[in-house]
Amino acid sequence: MRNFILRRLIYAIPTLIGVSIITFAIVRLSPGDPIRLFVFGQRDITGEDIERLREAYGLNKPIPMQYIDWLIAAVQLNFGQSFIYHQDAFQLLLSRVGNTLQLAVAALALQLVIGVPLGVIAALKRGSWADGLIRVFGVAGHAVPSFWLGLVLIIIFAVQLRWLPSVGILTVGKDAWDIADRFKHILLPAFVLSLTGIANYSRILRTETLDVLGQDFVRTAHAKGLHERTVVFVHALRNALIPVVTALGGILAGLVGGALVIEQVFSWPGVGQFTFQAAIAKDYPIIQAATMLVSVLLIVSYLLRDIAYAIVDPRIKAS
Amino acid sequence: MTAKQRTGRVLIAVFAATVLVATACAPGGPTASPGPTGTAAASAKPDQGGRIIEGSTTDIASMQPALSNDTSSSRIINLIYDNIIQQDPKNGEPKPKMATFSASSDGLTYTFEMNAKANWSDGKPVIGEDFFTSVKIAGKSKKTVRKSNYQDIEGFKDYSDGKATTISGIKVDAANPKKWTVKMTKVSCPAILDLNTMAPLPTQVFGKYVTEASKDEIDTAPENTSPTVFSGAFKFKEWRKGDQVILSKNETYWQGTPNVDEFVYKVVANSTAVTNGLKTGELTFGSLAAKDLADVQTVDSVKITKYQALGYTFIGWNTLSPTATGLADKRVRQALAYGIDMDAVIKAVVFGEATKNVAHHVAVQWSFPKSPLEQYKYDKAKAETLLKDAGWVKGSDGILAKDGKKFSLTISTNSGNQERETLAQVAADQYKQLGIDAKARPEAFQGLVTKLTTGDQTLEATIIGWNLGGDVDPYSIWHSANVPNPATKVEGFGFTGFKDPAMDKAIEQGRNPTDGNCSTAARQANYETFNKILNEHQPYNFGYSNNVLAVSQKSLQNFNPASYSTIYNIHEWWIKK
Amino acid sequence: MASTTAAIGSRAAAEALVLRPPRSLWSNAWYKLRHDRLTMIAVAVLVVLGLLAAAADVFAQYVFTYTYEKQDLLHTYEKPTLDPPAYLLGSDEIGRSQVVRLLYGGRVSLAVGFVAALVNLTVGVAIGLTAGYMRGRVDDLFTWFVTTLNSIPTIFLLLIFAAIWEPGPVTLTLVIGLLFWTGIALFVRGQTFALREREFVVAARTIGARDRRIMFKHILPNILPLIIVLAAIDIGAIILVESALSYLGLGILPPTPSWGNLLTNATSYFVRAWWLVVSPGVMIFLTVLCLYLIGDGLRDALDPRLKAEK
Repeated sequence: MRNFILRRLIYAIPTLIGVSIITFAIVRLSPGDPIRLFVFGQRDITGEDIERLREAYGLNKPIPMQYIDWLIAAVQLNFGQSFIYHQDAFQLLLSRVGNTLQLAVAALALQLVIGVPLGVIAALKRGSWADGLIRVFGVAGHAVPSFWLGLVLIIIFAVQLRWLPSVGILTVGKDAWDIADRFKHILLPAFVLSLTGIANYSRILRTETLDVLGQDFVRTAHAKGLHERTVVFVHALRNALIPVVTALGGILAGLVGGALVIEQVFSWPGVGQFTFQAAIAKDYPIIQAATMLVSVLLIVSYLLRDIAYAIVDPRIKAS
Repeated sequence: MTAKQRTGRVLIAVFAATVLVATACAPGGPTASPGPTGTAAASAKPDQGGRIIEGSTTDIASMQPALSNDTSSSRIINLIYDNIIQQDPKNGEPKPKMATFSASSDGLTYTFEMNAKANWSDGKPVIGEDFFTSVKIAGKSKKTVRKSNYQDIEGFKDYSDGKATTISGIKVDAANPKKWTVKMTKVSCPAILDLNTMAPLPTQVFGKYVTEASKDEIDTAPENTSPTVFSGAFKFKEWRKGDQVILSKNETYWQGTPNVDEFVYKVVANSTAVTNGLKTGELTFGSLAAKDLADVQTVDSVKITKYQALGYTFIGWNTLSPTATGLADKRVRQALAYGIDMDAVIKAVVFGEATKNVAHHVAVQWSFPKSPLEQYKYDKAKAETLLKDAGWVKGSDGILAKDGKKFSLTISTNSGNQERETLAQVAADQYKQLGIDAKARPEAFQGLVTKLTTGDQTLEATIIGWNLGGDVDPYSIWHSANVPNPATKVEGFGFTGFKDPAMDKAIEQGRNPTDGNCSTAARQANYETFNKILNEHQPYNFGYSNNVLAVSQKSLQNFNPASYSTIYNIHEWWIKK
Repeated sequence: MASTTAAIGSRAAAEALVLRPPRSLWSNAWYKLRHDRLTMIAVAVLVVLGLLAAAADVFAQYVFTYTYEKQDLLHTYEKPTLDPPAYLLGSDEIGRSQVVRLLYGGRVSLAVGFVAALVNLTVGVAIGLTAGYMRGRVDDLFTWFVTTLNSIPTIFLLLIFAAIWEPGPVTLTLVIGLLFWTGIALFVRGQTFALREREFVVAARTIGARDRRIMFKHILPNILPLIIVLAAIDIGAIILVESALSYLGLGILPPTPSWGNLLTNATSYFVRAWWLVVSPGVMIFLTVLCLYLIGDGLRDALDPRLKAEK
């Protein structure tokens, strides 16, 4: 196990370097110049001023040199100063990560809490309208544009019914630990984010439960007097563990990527929204730092998934 | 035009909000919606306590005046640090705030004296050295865009380049630390407001960044994001990034302790969220996008104050365009002014909440011409005649053509700004009726800005806006020295390519008068000429100047925003219980 | 040498012996498909949508008499009404016809989806085949590259690219095409691995057929059915991504309508005209749903072994 982890971590290094090269290329090779954006409309700005600013922001060296400089600093976790905020880019991101993680965890929880039972119910009531509905949902859940669903839910729940707030993470003046208020704010975005996951899990659980239902030991357990439902549920869950864990890896990518759009729709102050604003404002250090951060998160989560996978299924040993 | 745009999409609310920082009253004073006005009766004693919450679509960037010039940061900076000079909220004329000022007879030296009461929240008095410290910060910083504001101070350039250890032009009176003089290298009328660009900063905090040995450490100073000593009405308490900035009242404020306990600057998603917040009472004041006015007018608990924004949105014609050759002809540009029903456009784009503009300065500014300007009232027939005179004839397809070439026009603007996109499309539609093959083309802001400042000739017509806060000097936009030329790599904001020697002279005299006379009256004469030339030649269709729709809860007393400032009297505001 | 060739006969003839076109697979699949009601409905709906989008010009001119740019500043935010017919689904903030813009938007969204998917497939299949067949270092390079790309959520990368480069629609389509191929490539590579060892491939190799020929003439046709399944799902995913980008103001820019950018100003519509938010989303949902159902249906029909459901 230890070798497995070690090997994966070592393999992660060329991957991260690859990620950094791709990001750097996209960001620095782009046409256009962020400096002009910063000084637009400023009175009496001279060409000299612009040159000075380019140097101050590290944009006047040839690109490969810029990359080397950046790489050396990045290894020491120094991702430079944000062009807009003039503060350490990494710190700025870290201060936002918590919010996105909250959202991701909430979404994950919803996926499991809603998706799993739905799948089991569909299997238990196979052939009924409930089953049909859940199966349709299994496909439809992937086809719904998430940002649109967010907008529609806002219209229904925030604008028309006024049950839930439409934006943000907390109401002004409320204490940061006001759980009820936070819950109200996180409900809609987490739900929208969890949708594809719910669809996935309901499908997986349905398949696994059907599988289990047809097996002998269920009848045996029944004969023993154990409640059928409980037995089915427990065994289905256990069998479903593997595909669920497998799905987890892909879902994390979806969560981080999807969070970007959802955070915009709901004005959720997380890493996604922050990166989007930074991208629009051409704040290169933040964009690069954010991409590295997201990649690391993904790699770590894939690794965790594979470890969980290996634990759960002893037949799968690190190859 | 604000110098920094973080999201093109927020320009709607930001532009309106930008203007809240700027000032000026529409002639006749601010119009309030029906209902009791907010000014407190003389006898009422202000209630104490409460919280003022302002909503914004963008978070602040920094609380260091040298490093930020976006609206949001400026709002907070103005609340925690007082400036030495305040522009009159209604017409922009420089008036003393923390310091009185006078100019020498040759116009080269300014003498200031800090108000005896002006003090820092740590008990120390605000002194001339604090002014000196901010200018030095602008000198030492590498990332600031403020250097151009101080370039005319004697010795500043050398200090900024590292060649000198102090700025020779600034001298603090040895006997009276509250008194100081600033010597300029040339007579510059905008100077007095330029010197007011940054508020004085506490030497006791920032002095360590401007010693002889200092380099550019100021750019990364922690005090930029967690300031500790203040001269303004409020003190910094907390910054929850991306969410809100919380300020608490400054009990030692030199103009008197504010009546409210806290000021909160809250980041919200978009202008709709601002509107919703104002309706529900979650936000104390803010500005509306015109499209939301109808919605808010029905709400009893809020009061709406209108005044003219300090800026305008316009269509800039590229008079040197190789593809839209018609634009080189003055008659064509005048036709483009007569040929657009600007009232209908204003109604469509901002629901009527704007006034038509026909020259560079707007009505509230003291530099606005006193003699009447040509108003270019909508006259389709006249437009068509002018086009015909210029040689453009409608072909069989209904499109104007001259010498075998069709009159096609692409109107560019920055995408993400709903108001401007709508304006582009409405304008294109109107021009189609004149026989011009016009189309709108939104593009992303950064690309557009680059094209404009480098004089990219693929741009034919561009819709964008200018923010006119600060001094009225139009040098960077209209002087021939600032016309960009891709061939010689000259960059600037004069992207129309329009040059006029008489206009140049008027601008120069308004800025650096040969007789050293920077009085308003003397400068006014120059701007009269300047605006008249622009009015006649129409290098822009000068578009319109928005009305700012300031909304406040009726419980908020003494709220009197004007074109140049909203918060000038914030220490007198109070919330009625 | 001459004798060997003569003994086996012409190379083509030998290959023809070895290769039997899987005719039964296709006709089997077609039969199953025809009887899969859900999938057939999906196909029908998709065809209708496609026709509507293709005939947008005709509709705009004759049925609705409004172009997608035509404004009417006096009739903004109109409720859906039959008079004028152009306002069947309401009008937007400058009085443009929502239904006409939906039709044209369909053109754009579908075009981007199909073209990008085509690019996707071409790149993905080519790379997957090569990596799977060549193995060794080529495959290692492939693995490294794919792992790298997969470590950044695609929409994240796309968004950053779109925000910084501000590409036009053609560039955008190409870039989308160039970012989504990893899934396809991995799949094709996996299948190629398996097929590589099958007799007909081994036989072809023995005859001395060139690598490229083997890959494209022998392996590819066997993977084709499954690629088609992937394609359907791919197009759906791309449409979702493009609409999200356009919604954010980074994809297709107005005045060119796309289903996504019809929603960009959605926050303004919440109170005044909520129906404007419904229609574009429904179109996206329907289209993608049909594509996914078709993909599912095709998969069930073509390869029962892949069937996940019972």
